[in-house]
Amino acid sequence: MTSLKELQARFQAGILTGDDTILDEVKDSAREPRTVLFGVYRHAYVARLVEILGNDYEQLHAYLGDEGFAKLATAYVAAHPSDRRNARWYGRHLPGFAKETPPFAAHPEVSEIAALEKALDDAFDGPDATPLTIADLAATPPEDWPRLTLEPHPTAIRLTFTSNAADIWSALKDETQPPAPAHLPEPQAIIVWRQGLMARFRLLAAEEAMMWNEAAKGVRFGVLCEMVAMFAGEDGAEVRAATYLKDWIEAGMLAGCRVEPA
Amino acid sequence: MTDHKPPYLGFGLGLRPQHYQEILSGNPAIDWFEVISENYMIPGGQPLRMLEQIRERYPLVMHGVSLSIASTAPLDTEYLTALKSLADRVEPKWISDHLCWTGVHGVNLHDLLPVPYTQEALDHVVDRVSQVQDVLGRRLTLENVSSYVSFGQSEMTEWEFVTEVANRADCWLLFDVNNVYVSAFNHGFSTDEFLHGVPQDRIVQFHVAGHSHEEGHIVDTHDHPVCDEVWDFYREAVTHFGPVSTMIERDDNIPPLAEVVAELDMARKIAREVQDGTRLSAAE
Repeated sequence: MTSLKELQARFQAGILTGDDTILDEVKDSAREPRTVLFGVYRHAYVARLVEILGNDYEQLHAYLGDEGFAKLATAYVAAHPSDRRNARWYGRHLPGFAKETPPFAAHPEVSEIAALEKALDDAFDGPDATPLTIADLAATPPEDWPRLTLEPHPTAIRLTFTSNAADIWSALKDETQPPAPAHLPEPQAIIVWRQGLMARFRLLAAEEAMMWNEAAKGVRFGVLCEMVAMFAGEDGAEVRAATYLKDWIEAGMLAGCRVEPA
Repeated sequence: MTDHKPPYLGFGLGLRPQHYQEILSGNPAIDWFEVISENYMIPGGQPLRMLEQIRERYPLVMHGVSLSIASTAPLDTEYLTALKSLADRVEPKWISDHLCWTGVHGVNLHDLLPVPYTQEALDHVVDRVSQVQDVLGRRLTLENVSSYVSFGQSEMTEWEFVTEVANRADCWLLFDVNNVYVSAFNHGFSTDEFLHGVPQDRIVQFHVAGHSHEEGHIVDTHDHPVCDEVWDFYREAVTHFGPVSTMIERDDNIPPLAEVVAELDMARKIAREVQDGTRLSAAE
C-alpha cells in the first residue's frame, strides 16, 4: 500500500504539475470517471489562487481586463506555488513577477500599479501604533529640536515609480477612464501608510521625499534642516522642514519622536 | 483534556467583512458568529478592530482553514502559536478546523484535501490532534470536508474514520450538513448512514451551506443559497442530534446580511418544528 506520505506527495504533484500517477490511487464514482473527479481539485487550485489575486489586485485587474489579468495571474500561479498558510500573503510577489516577466515587463505601470495595491493592502492590516500628535511634539523644548529623531508609522511604505501608475490607479479606483500609460521624466516618490483605519497614499515632492528617507533612517531634525537647505536653498529651509514635519504629523505618518543625547 | 462540552449557542453566521457595518450599526438578531481564524492572523488595522467590537456584543467561535491536521508535513509551530495567540485575544467558545490536509513540502494548496480512511492515516491524525490540543490547551473541533475522490486503499467508511478520530483523540466534531450531502452524492453513500454513524456526544456545531451541482458531481462552493435537499437533511440532523449550534456558511457571492439572516431564520424554523421551541430560544 502506498504510504500516506507518498500518497499526499502524488496528490499534490497531480494538482501542481498535472502528473497523473495519483489516478492509480483514486476510484471512479458511479457517475464520473476519476479524471473528472480529480480534475475538480486541479481546477479549484488555479481558480482559487487567481481569485485571491483578483481580490488583492482589483485595480490591476480592471486595468488589464479579464483576459490580460488572467494571463498574468495564471502565469504567477504556475511560477509561485503558495508557501504560506494564510492566503493573505499569497500574492506578495506579484509586483516583482510582473516587473520581470514578459510581456508585462515591457509595461512598467503594470508592476507599479501592483506595487501600489500591495502597499495599500499591507498598510491596511499592518501593525497598529498611536500616531504622533502636534501636542506630543510641542512638549519638546525648542532647544532640543535639533536632536529630535522621528519614528515613521509602522505601516509607512516608500515607493518610487517611473510611470504614471498612481494616476492610473486613482482613475480606476474612481471608475473613470485611466490616462494612457506614460514614462515620467523624473521618478516619482510615493508614500503609503494607514491613517486611522484607512490605507492611503500620497505623492512626495523630491525635497520632501529626501527628508522623509533621511528621517526614516533616524537622522536628527537639525541635520534634516541642513539637508533641506542643501537640497533647495537655505532660504526658508527650516520653515520648509517644519512644514513637512507638520504635514506628516497631521496625516498620521509618524508614530513617535525622541530627543537623542547631545 | 478536562474542558467541558462547549455551550449550545443557538443560530449564528460566518462573519464576513461585507457585513461589519451592518452588524455593528444594526445589532441584528444573530446569536453568535464564526470567524475565519486566518483572516485575523494579521498584524493590526481594521479587521482586528472590527473583531474586537463584534466580540463585545456576540459570542465567537474560531474556524481555521489551514491547520492541515492530516498532512504528513511537520506541524507548523509558528502557525499554532499565532492561532493560540488569536484565541487568547478572542476567547472563542471553541476552535475548529477541517479533517483534511492542505499541502506538503512547504506548499499550501489552499484547499481542503481528502484523506484515505486507513489505519495509518487514523493513527497519524489522532497523534497530530493530540499535539495541537496540547498547544491550544483545549479540545479541537474537527469538521468533515466535502470530497470529490475516494481512495482505493481506504479500509473504513468516512463516518467510521471520523468517529475513531473523535474518540481516540478526544476532540469535538463540527458536523457540516452540506459536506455530508455533497460527499454522499459524489461517492454514492447514504447521508443517513453518515448521520447515524458519528457520535452525538462529540458534535458541537452544524454548518449549513449551498453548493454547485455539476453534471455527475457536486462542488462545495458555498456561493449559493442552501438548497431544499440540504434543508431536508438539516431537519434529519436536528431530529437525530437534538439542539446543536447552527451556522449558515457563505464564502462567495456574499449577499446582503438580510438574505443570510433569512436563511438563518429558516434553520430556526426547522429546528423549532423539530424540537420543542422553548429549548432552542437562545436569543428569542
